[in-house]
Amino acid sequence: MGSPCELLTQVDDEALARKLLDVVAAEVWRVEDKFSRYLPGNIIAKINNSNGESVEVDDETADLIDFAATLYRLSDGMFDISSGVLREVWTFDGSDRLPSKEAVSSILPRVGWQKTSWNRPHFGLAPGMEIDLGGLGKEYAVDRAAAHVTALTAASSLVNFGGDLVAAGSPSKTAGWQVGIDATEEGSGRAGHLIRLKHGGLATSGNARRYLQKDGVRYSHILNPVSGWPIEGAPRSVTVAADTCTQAGMLATLAILQGEGAETFLEEQDIRYWCLR
Amino acid sequence: MSKKNRKSIAASLATATCSLLGNTVTEPVQAQEEPGWDFNTALLYYSEGDGRVEDISVNFLANRYFVDDRTLSLGFAFDTLTGATPIGAIPFSGPQTFTTPSGASTFTTPADVIPLDPSFLDTRYALSVDWEQPLGRLFTMSAGLSASFEHDYDHFGANFNLSRDFNKKNTNVSLGVAISQDDLTPVGGAPIPFAPMLDVDDLSNKRGDESKDVIDIVLGVTQVINRNMLVKVNYSFSDSSGYLNDPYKLLSLVDAVTGDPVPRLPAPGAVGPLHEYRFESRPDSRTKHSLYGQAKYYMSGKVLDASYRFMTDDWGIDSHTLDLRFRWPIRDSSYLEPHFRFYSQSHADFYRVSLVDGAPSPTYASADYRLGEFDAITVGLKYGWKLAAGNEMSARIEFYKQDGDAPGNQLIGNQLTRDMYPGLDAIIAQFSYRFGR
Repeated sequence: MGSPCELLTQVDDEALARKLLDVVAAEVWRVEDKFSRYLPGNIIAKINNSNGESVEVDDETADLIDFAATLYRLSDGMFDISSGVLREVWTFDGSDRLPSKEAVSSILPRVGWQKTSWNRPHFGLAPGMEIDLGGLGKEYAVDRAAAHVTALTAASSLVNFGGDLVAAGSPSKTAGWQVGIDATEEGSGRAGHLIRLKHGGLATSGNARRYLQKDGVRYSHILNPVSGWPIEGAPRSVTVAADTCTQAGMLATLAILQGEGAETFLEEQDIRYWCLR
Repeated sequence: MSKKNRKSIAASLATATCSLLGNTVTEPVQAQEEPGWDFNTALLYYSEGDGRVEDISVNFLANRYFVDDRTLSLGFAFDTLTGATPIGAIPFSGPQTFTTPSGASTFTTPADVIPLDPSFLDTRYALSVDWEQPLGRLFTMSAGLSASFEHDYDHFGANFNLSRDFNKKNTNVSLGVAISQDDLTPVGGAPIPFAPMLDVDDLSNKRGDESKDVIDIVLGVTQVINRNMLVKVNYSFSDSSGYLNDPYKLLSLVDAVTGDPVPRLPAPGAVGPLHEYRFESRPDSRTKHSLYGQAKYYMSGKVLDASYRFMTDDWGIDSHTLDLRFRWPIRDSSYLEPHFRFYSQSHADFYRVSLVDGAPSPTYASADYRLGEFDAITVGLKYGWKLAAGNEMSARIEFYKQDGDAPGNQLIGNQLTRDMYPGLDAIIAQFSYRFGR
């Protein structure tokens, strides 16, 4: 997952606490092993090396592909799990090294959800294309792990994978969890906002440290899959509170994909959010 | 995203997520922003040395943050001043005797030193409350009230500020207005301008209480120039009207040839001054214009803060202030900040070293050294550090040196052989602690 993962839980029984930890750890490793694009031999590797052949996928993978298709539609094509190949020309290291227009254009033919075929349970990609579930995998893992926890206990628990988190358990029985959102990108040590989360998920999209800067223009690391270039005018980060971590994460991502209109979008969705520009 | 289906995105997403996660969620999210507190406390010690003014002050500021970027600030300050300050009389080769402001007794100052008023003793309490909140997405407003109380001076004030962001928050324009009404109840009563200092128990040269009103308007623009630099420019206008004198300050009446204070005899059986003094008289209005420019420059972790202010008023005073601060971070959690400030002002039109016996009385006159011509340099160093809990402490020490000249064309006789302008050396030490939740 590329981040520290933790479970905070309030149970009286130490054995139960250990079991909950085991269950959460097992689930996050399972999701990572199955869906990480870095690991050979899993379903993602099979799809990405299918060279034009259609691949039959299991129910869980099919559900995620359905979800990705919905996000593609809801975002008018801006959220596209086939856009990962753009990382071959974009390296967001804070420098001013932008790729050339030709380099970006040469990758674009390999990007585009509309070029995939999805006929559940058969998924097909044109040769040279790849899918990457990194944009929703962590939030999905959080919610899945939380489901395992609530199956074992009604006690108040917080599943937190690197800042994408969900509070599970009965909200009427808990004082809630205090979650701090940094006010500045450099982590001042004092929370810019302090949230009392009794139930639901919190997720952050955007990364204030990954960017490029040239001629006074800042390029955030969120790419527009249609043009191949970074979304312009996006906030540095967006944090959203929603019923699940997945919803929170997707709303935050959809907001960033709106660029300048991020705050307007978030206002229209009538959700709690914190935007850092 | 097409406008018509925008509002339903969260709902569509909720449905899609239900399908993905298998409908395990039955409760809606409950996430509330917690209002937080932030406290800033400071203890300051100021000392001019040589028996002059000493001040110890305690400052306390509490900020309470509410949801949606609304903030309530409450401030409290307590100052205790002791020591003595130049009374405005000139030094000369013999001792001088003055009646105290209450008129109850006299005090005597030694020869060859600038006479200081030793009854400079006061305790001041100040309170402020401010409210700040956004108005819409681009405007921010703040409004506040302030008050302070001393045994002979009360201040009441109100302020309002409106600012707006432009250019994706790279530009901010603000307009602020502050008004205040101050009431003066000088010990013994406010002196009649140019009235002579009289014997003990004779208060016929005093009248009652006074007041003054001040309005300040500030128009400012802050502009982000690039990732490393921002610049701010302000224009300020200030208008004071009412009683603008210092009720405890006076001028010596001097002989036109020797420049020495004219002797005086108290009434038979009475005790009083042995030389002639006249209470000062300033205009009853003062208009100031200032132009201020500041640049903050960030250079890989270090910050340079440089500013310049030019002020001119209708009392004839022009002043320049140059201020430089350089913050130098040390590792992750502390910093050193050297500070340098240079200040220079010209004297007020009515600044007089002394009044000349027999010469026509000027319309206004004051020997208050703060209205004179002087330069001042401040050199200081601040050290700040963060504690484990995210709280901050800082300690700073500053040295202030002020030196000026009496206008050469005003000096006569023996005055030319003496240092007629009271210089000032002061040390400032401050410790502050900021903590919050």
